[in-house]
Amino acid sequence: MSEYIERFRTSERVLHWAVTASFFTLLLTGLGLYSRLFHGYFGLFGGGINAIMIHKISGVIFFFSSIYMFLNHKKDISTFDQDDKLWIDKSGGYLSKDASHFNIGKYNPGQKLFALCIAAATAVLGVTGLIAWLPLYFPRFIVQVSLMMHSLFFIGSIMFVVVHVYLATIGNPGTIEAMLYGDVKRVWAKKHHPKWYKETTGENQ
Amino acid sequence: MADTINQTARKGFLVDTSRCIGCRSCQVACKQWNKLEADKTSNKGTFENPLDLTPALYNRIKFIELEKSGEVSWLFFNERCMHCGDAGCMKVCPSPGALYRTKDGIVAYNKDKCISCKYCVSACPFNIPRYGDDDKVSKCHLCQDRISGGMTPACAKACPTETLKYGNRSELIAKAAAAKKTLYGVDDLMGLGVVYALEGPPEQYGLPAKPSIPLSIFLWKDVIKPLGILGFWGSIGAMLLHYVTIGPKKVDDDLDVKEEGHE
Repeated sequence: MSEYIERFRTSERVLHWAVTASFFTLLLTGLGLYSRLFHGYFGLFGGGINAIMIHKISGVIFFFSSIYMFLNHKKDISTFDQDDKLWIDKSGGYLSKDASHFNIGKYNPGQKLFALCIAAATAVLGVTGLIAWLPLYFPRFIVQVSLMMHSLFFIGSIMFVVVHVYLATIGNPGTIEAMLYGDVKRVWAKKHHPKWYKETTGENQ
Repeated sequence: MADTINQTARKGFLVDTSRCIGCRSCQVACKQWNKLEADKTSNKGTFENPLDLTPALYNRIKFIELEKSGEVSWLFFNERCMHCGDAGCMKVCPSPGALYRTKDGIVAYNKDKCISCKYCVSACPFNIPRYGDDDKVSKCHLCQDRISGGMTPACAKACPTETLKYGNRSELIAKAAAAKKTLYGVDDLMGLGVVYALEGPPEQYGLPAKPSIPLSIFLWKDVIKPLGILGFWGSIGAMLLHYVTIGPKKVDDDLDVKEEGHE
């Protein structure tokens, strides 16, 4: 029996990394727009005008790929069961050194909430971004509020992404493999997602 | 963050609306000096023309008709960039040097540095900046090329009634205050570079009674921006702290115990 089981299909991984790549392109091109403190980042793209153009293109890519990803997982990430509630009550065991065991399906409630928040942020950033893209075609008040909301939801997103990257890499060793190669170790699956492991393999632990 | 401004050396306009005869010499002189194209305009049954500032119209006379108990009074108002002491456009401009303050306290701009983001359009308390076919900011720059050579701005030079008076801002204000004029823009937004002597309440001229940088622009630049930078580094710090205090969830933590029984 192989030591590994499949967690993400190739198409799911490609989609995830398309979202990632466009997100970080948006971050780098947007930093100079966020504050004059980060004006130097425009240099990466040959000036502010180019950075804005790339920001718009990657914005469109991010919007559609992120929304598509959400629609693919809509059911998985928007249903919470009893075991999920237990996980939430104990913060997933992340605030204690003691070993904790939760009967979690394919995604834990933290991952579900992260996905929901990013989907909501994608929608808000997309709409406000479009308004900021064409400021002369909207009432000034709407553009002013959009610029504010765009920065607010960007900040929310980047902070969530920091947590996401931490938990998917050094915070939970063995997790990043799922998104890189598609397969995870059986022991990893049994520890983090026992209910999912049982459903996929039909095995009892 | 407001830019620094030397209030004593500051230059500006005193616009005494009661003296204006609506001749629009200022409009024409500005067009001539700045070599601005003519705008296609339309007749809306008023002498006001054009009806709004354009990328090729840096200042204009707004005609306001008021009817009070059967009598019609006509107000003339010179609309242009106010050269705010705390300028919303400069606050939001992401391109250093695109919008800048001169030593005279004027808000000038360099089209070569403008990156066409149009943030200044949204941040202006008076809805002044315009973008034309070149997709670059345009507005009154108080004839930088004239005043740096010791000349008067074209509009003030052409004004036949001394409605537009150019000079040291505090001296102009002192004189107007001594003449018991009702002044607009002396202290708002750290003082407007264009101060008006009005004949009625500001609202009558379509001016905000208390001009300020729009609330969402203030929240964006002065609250969300600094807190956001703090939040970003805070979240990285929190993750590192978690890593060294509580530590990662290693897969083999509990397996070792079960399978090999050491410890």
